[in-house]
Amino acid sequence: MADLTARSRVRRQLPTSPWLFAAPGLLVTGAFVLYPFLSTLHNSLTDRRTLIPGRFVGLANFRELLHDDMFWTGLRNSSLYVLGVVPALVVLPLLLALLVQKNIPGITFFRSAFYTPVVASIVVVGLIWVWLLDERGLVNSLLETLGIGRVGFLSDQWLLLLSAMAVTVWKGLGYYMIIYLAALANVPRELHEAAAVDGAGPVRRFLNVTVPAVRSTMVLVAALSSVAAFKVFSEVYLMAGPSGGPAGEDTTLVMLVQRTGTGLTGRLGYASALSVVVFAVTVVLMLLVLCADRRDGT
Amino acid sequence: MPTSRRAFAAAAVAALVLPLSACGSGDDGGGSTDASGKVEGDITFQTWNLRANFKPYFEGVIADFEKKYPGTHVKWIDQPAEGYADKISADAAGGTLPDVVNVSPDLVAPLARAGLALDLDKAAARYKSEYLDGAWASHRIPGTSGTYAFPWYLNTGPLFYNKSLFKKAGLDPEQPPKTYDELFADALKVARQSDGKVATLANVPTIEDFGRYGVELMNQQGTGFAFDDAKGVELLTKYKELYDAKALDPQALTATPESSGKKFLTEAVAMNPGSALDLGNFKKQAPNLYRNIGITDQITSTGHVNMYVMGVMVNSRTKHPPAAVAFAHYVTDARNQMSFAKKVAIFPSTAGSLGDPYFTKEDGTDETKVRIAAAKSLKNAVNYTPVLFSEQMKTALRNEVAKALQGKESPKTALDNAVKACDRLLQQQG
Repeated sequence: MADLTARSRVRRQLPTSPWLFAAPGLLVTGAFVLYPFLSTLHNSLTDRRTLIPGRFVGLANFRELLHDDMFWTGLRNSSLYVLGVVPALVVLPLLLALLVQKNIPGITFFRSAFYTPVVASIVVVGLIWVWLLDERGLVNSLLETLGIGRVGFLSDQWLLLLSAMAVTVWKGLGYYMIIYLAALANVPRELHEAAAVDGAGPVRRFLNVTVPAVRSTMVLVAALSSVAAFKVFSEVYLMAGPSGGPAGEDTTLVMLVQRTGTGLTGRLGYASALSVVVFAVTVVLMLLVLCADRRDGT
Repeated sequence: MPTSRRAFAAAAVAALVLPLSACGSGDDGGGSTDASGKVEGDITFQTWNLRANFKPYFEGVIADFEKKYPGTHVKWIDQPAEGYADKISADAAGGTLPDVVNVSPDLVAPLARAGLALDLDKAAARYKSEYLDGAWASHRIPGTSGTYAFPWYLNTGPLFYNKSLFKKAGLDPEQPPKTYDELFADALKVARQSDGKVATLANVPTIEDFGRYGVELMNQQGTGFAFDDAKGVELLTKYKELYDAKALDPQALTATPESSGKKFLTEAVAMNPGSALDLGNFKKQAPNLYRNIGITDQITSTGHVNMYVMGVMVNSRTKHPPAAVAFAHYVTDARNQMSFAKKVAIFPSTAGSLGDPYFTKEDGTDETKVRIAAAKSLKNAVNYTPVLFSEQMKTALRNEVAKALQGKESPKTALDNAVKACDRLLQQQG
């Protein structure tokens, strides 16, 4: 009898209404986040193809990955992308934000101008950069006029990857600049004034006042940009072409997922295994950034 | 009413996990092959990027069909060219494939193997004699016994060249290359004379280039690729010479047909394959090039030029097989193909149509000249792209060719690797 009373008390503590309020969110998350994720995990253990259901093959897809040269090429390029893009996207937008932070006449124009690449379509951006960097494009014509000669921005494996990184940085500057502007607005003016009274110059004030004050924002930018950089697709696809640059040497992991898993002959099982690796690496990247942040914070 | 936490959790897990059990439960059945019976019912018809330019034509064809067969209704869907294969694969996997679908042979192959394409040798054999034998055969799939799409329009084209660039290189603009040896010699001369600034070709060799060069693409049984033979190595070696001399555009390794077409348009390259359709573009977009345009036949070592085939497939799961087959035949019959050919630079696949004066009688214009030459060459043209050659295989070949051109691998090793990769993909296709 006492037991029954306790149970009914627990039931009274678990009313229906909170679940009903949460239900739409749970359903949407379940259908569009959790289900696709579980489905990808499941597919990665099968040899499923676009039109053929496939069988359970255990870890065979993951074993195959280890012997796939293109996987290692993709992993290398995606990792290089993180190394090339993230430091630039952490530092340059902060410097840009410091420049446009001042309230001087006409500064709104520059803030908008720096933000324009963010809202521009990546396809349009990609095409414009391809025209600029083409063998007969504006940049090469300029270099030729200066006597340097034409540079194979779009035909050399490494220059192509660097060019794509430059486009990613150029396009991302404005976005992260806005985040830094919000963070800089919260830096107490008194700290700068106190440092100035103590004789600190602009560089010293930047390093000793601004950077510590926006450190958590820098960590956020590092985390966001490293995940985005590891999953890069559009910039490299548009500049290197669907084959992933000369001999596919500029293929990134997400490009490989797209190439392997789409079309009527797509290998969904193998592409899902690649996606699982991309997921695992991005989780590790996030953890690394957060660990570094925690270590610096202590 | 209070809810049990355990029941709620169980329902949530079931809602999420149960759909997973659907994975792997596909049905390989081929559907009905019986297209006899009354032609009636609602069907859907999907074309490949044709609405923008040919809306009145297709609306007319559909109206005529519905008038001929009262009780039928055709819903026309048009899909953009970009990602067409992905759209079909999503529909096929999701069970929403339209009843009648515009396809190319390489798209038919996986659909036929998955039992989604109606075997027309069984369901519509009576129409076979209306089409050119080669065109009907183009939708046969190795490893299966049937024919899986009505042949629709054919296309082929000449090789365009820039007379002005030829002249600047000291070549006779009225004597374009006719053989591969002449092509390679002229290309090297153009590169030399322009100090590497003008390339003659802008694309790396594709599977149809190997076919046209006389390379055996697949073994007799159609169970494996064979383009790594001596002839294949010879072609790739010659392309390497061109690449080293900048007679092949340096950006050819990443080029697409569209980007190389643009290079020809801007007079950065001297030659480019095309079709009669391109003449209008040249006239409109590059009048200077149009004034200097030279037109010559495709270069081939086999005596057969390359042609592209379009088809119209019937979904084997259609609820109205008689109506779907009747409509697919109606769109591709001699009258409608001829009418379509007069609206755009394509060629009918129906027997006898290429003998029409429209394809044989000169009127002095460049368009007619190209059309007549193309129609003549189509009589013994070949679709060199094997129907089992998937997008993934094209990428594998392209990457190995690029390695050979860059000198990272010898042509022989590159082609051996490409064949190995394509064979593996072929086996994985099942």
